[in-house]
Amino acid sequence: MGGFHIASVLSMEGHSVVVVEQSEAALDSVRRLDVKTVLGSGSNPRVLREAEAPRADLLIAFTASDETNMVACFLAKALGTKRTVARVRNPEYSGYLVTGGKSAIATRRIVTPESLGISLLVNPDIMAAEEISSILASLYSTSIEEFAAGRVQVREFRVESETIVNKPLHDVVFPQPCVVAAIDRPTEVIVPTSDAILKKNDHVWVVSSAEAMDEIGAVFAQKKSPAKRIVILGGEHVGFRLAQLLEKRGMGVKLIEADPALCHQVAAQLERTEVVQGEGTDRDFLVEEGVPFYDAFIAATGRDEHNILSALLAKNLDTGRSLALVERAQYVPLAEAVGLDGVVSPLLLAAERIIRLVRSTTMITVAFIAGSRAEAIEFAAGQTARIAKRQLGKVDLPHGAVVGAIVRGDATIIPQSDTVIEPGDHVVVVCLPSVVPTVEKLFE
Amino acid sequence: MRIRVVLRYLGPFLMGLGLFMLIPLAFSLYYREPDTLAFFISMAITAGAGLLLRLFARPGGDRLSRREALLLVAGIWIAAAVFGALPYKLSGTFPNYLNAYFEAMSGFTTTGASVLTSIESQPHGILLWRDLTQWLGGMGIVMLFVAILPALGVGAAHMVEGELPGPKAERLTARIRDTARILWQLYLGLSALEIVALLIVGLPFFDALLNTFGTMPTGGFCPRDLSIAAYNSASVEGIVIFFMILAGTNFQLFYLILWKRQLRTFLADRELRWYLAIWATASLLIVLDLIMNMGYSVSNAFRYATFQAVSIQTTTGFAITNFAAWPSFSQSVLLVLMIVGASAYSTGGALKVIRVGVLAKYAYRQVLLVFSPRSIRPLKLAGKALPEKVVSEIVGLSILYIATLVLGSVVMSAIGLDTVSAFSSVAATLGNVGPGLGSVGPAANYAMVPGIGKVVLTFCMLVGRLELWTVLVLITPVFWKAR
Repeated sequence: MGGFHIASVLSMEGHSVVVVEQSEAALDSVRRLDVKTVLGSGSNPRVLREAEAPRADLLIAFTASDETNMVACFLAKALGTKRTVARVRNPEYSGYLVTGGKSAIATRRIVTPESLGISLLVNPDIMAAEEISSILASLYSTSIEEFAAGRVQVREFRVESETIVNKPLHDVVFPQPCVVAAIDRPTEVIVPTSDAILKKNDHVWVVSSAEAMDEIGAVFAQKKSPAKRIVILGGEHVGFRLAQLLEKRGMGVKLIEADPALCHQVAAQLERTEVVQGEGTDRDFLVEEGVPFYDAFIAATGRDEHNILSALLAKNLDTGRSLALVERAQYVPLAEAVGLDGVVSPLLLAAERIIRLVRSTTMITVAFIAGSRAEAIEFAAGQTARIAKRQLGKVDLPHGAVVGAIVRGDATIIPQSDTVIEPGDHVVVVCLPSVVPTVEKLFE
Repeated sequence: MRIRVVLRYLGPFLMGLGLFMLIPLAFSLYYREPDTLAFFISMAITAGAGLLLRLFARPGGDRLSRREALLLVAGIWIAAAVFGALPYKLSGTFPNYLNAYFEAMSGFTTTGASVLTSIESQPHGILLWRDLTQWLGGMGIVMLFVAILPALGVGAAHMVEGELPGPKAERLTARIRDTARILWQLYLGLSALEIVALLIVGLPFFDALLNTFGTMPTGGFCPRDLSIAAYNSASVEGIVIFFMILAGTNFQLFYLILWKRQLRTFLADRELRWYLAIWATASLLIVLDLIMNMGYSVSNAFRYATFQAVSIQTTTGFAITNFAAWPSFSQSVLLVLMIVGASAYSTGGALKVIRVGVLAKYAYRQVLLVFSPRSIRPLKLAGKALPEKVVSEIVGLSILYIATLVLGSVVMSAIGLDTVSAFSSVAATLGNVGPGLGSVGPAANYAMVPGIGKVVLTFCMLVGRLELWTVLVLITPVFWKAR
């Protein structure tokens, strides 16, 4: 599923993509995309050769098996692929392995992912856990994307305050300079002009400096205190990693898991988390376990539908914030529409990280926002960039793109129409995917 | 069950035991004392019986099954006491064979409960034999033979399992024989250290040797009537305290430090911390009690309390004062220590600190489960979850231990002992401590216990040393049926 998403994004952006897949049925659905397909295992050298791995710039191993991915990367690198990316779930694989010498004098060998021919390890579970953890630590229960080493944020807020509902954007008074870069509604995503009207429950994406964000957020909705006591549903990959992470940050965690065997396994590995066996869709059970009194509920089982339903149930029980893990990109807007406080998608996060690697010439960081229906991209303006040395108002930015922030040295500038971009500036642009190539050209 | 195979394996053990009688024989010859002949005859009988078994019990396949191994372990321990009693009987130390058997079993199981009324009048050979049996039993007779004898095969692992004092744990080494060797090396090394230390503070060689043989296996036999108090020396007491603490520590931890250099694992060990904490707490409570209710000076209170607490907790049983005459609070504390005991895989006995710790966690978990029945809470030691199978084994063993303790005390009081003496005699023998309270306290001994009582108590010693299962399976009818 994650592989499909990456393939579709890369092929839409004009790259030549070959998809290797073992299952004929899965390959059929991939054929909808403009890609070449090869039937077989990615850890098989013959198949890799058939997929033209020797002259490929990048191999992305994104199967569900860590070992298959690592072997595929190793083989591809040996065959001549320039760079390789492996999706690896087990964090122990991503560390350094120091082979201990039998005696003190014996040389020690250090084994790194690089020595296995892997340029980048991507761990969707941990990325998702970190994303959720950062959402929980903030005052608003919506997601944050960071740029320029955390100095600029692109942040999602939900429009709740009555004072701004049904007002055009230019009438809204912000306490700090900022740019409203996108409005996300179940039906559409727009990059707004100043006369766009805000509606209740719109998700708006705002660009500003990191320090100003909390103050700006107050315009849209009431602050919530950062979550301290958290219920996690599901003890599989993400649920378990998240519990580990939150536990380490000193939060009180209760983990609910339906499978007794998994319960025992997880409870053995976690330190302070309380593990409870039960069904997340059982309302009485959730009440019995005190879910209404917790600050946050995170549905992180392996099934999207289950997660959305349980999170909705928790929301209904008045849990502080209710977040769901959703893999299918199509479900993301749906989940937000039914009123969940946030949705996190591990595979999309991983895909994002990989696509960032593909486009690393002028684009420094890429983040998919609004369920990947818009992108926030950090560009470095080149010496001869067409966008530079001109007043922003006079640049012919395509419709559906907006400059959100400029980072020059130590200063963060929220642009006005008379701001000038200098070569060497880092610029955060929010735009719709269709105009990415046009915007990219402006910076080359 | 192939009894013949078991008997055949028993042969070499008896021959080995006979060889060990050479040591007291040598001392007896050196001191030119009348017990020489007794040792010579005992040696001939023991080694001869072993030889006969080896020759006439026909081999029936080499590999010991688990059942056979368990039977063999129990057989070895019982045979050790049966034949180990011969020198006492033949030298006339005890006219009564039951008393001799009691003393021998008390020795091998490192209990240190004595029926000998006048110790100092005994010849050197007998005194040495008394303490040597303890020293052999301390690290385990089976363990010793596994370390020395080649080719016990798979059976060896089963046998060591039947003797090891503690819940099942990961092996130290891939081969059980290497483990046995390491443990015995450690034991020998520590014993040598203690002998040297005692010699340095001025004890005669004979006393230094025998007291080491009393300390390292946490046995408690002392060549003096007054036990360690006879030396009236703070430095001797200090050395004995130090080595008692070491002897009551998990020997695998020493392996981690000395062989593997894992100081951190050693310091992080939960059982070690609990073991020392329990000792410190108990000592402090007794100190307060002695100062307030007995009018002891602070220094005396500390001296007596720390020594007695460690002596009882490590199940050694040395005495430097008659603690049976202490206020009842102190006695209760000692009684608790008697039941808790030392660390697993030490030479000490009783329930073991680790089991008590797990039991406490288990009980706490049961309380929590009352109001949150669906929460899953594995019991953890230093962050590592214990498999439920191990937990259940620990709970089961503890229940059996307590049941044996209760049943035994009922029997002992039926025989005519008062409640305190009855209970403490069983606690002290089951825990391999030695002296109890009341009429079996350190100032008295077990000589006045009626014959049936001595049989019950020797059974308790054996059951306690082999940690119940190994002996209790033998009285389970199903054990003998099928195969």
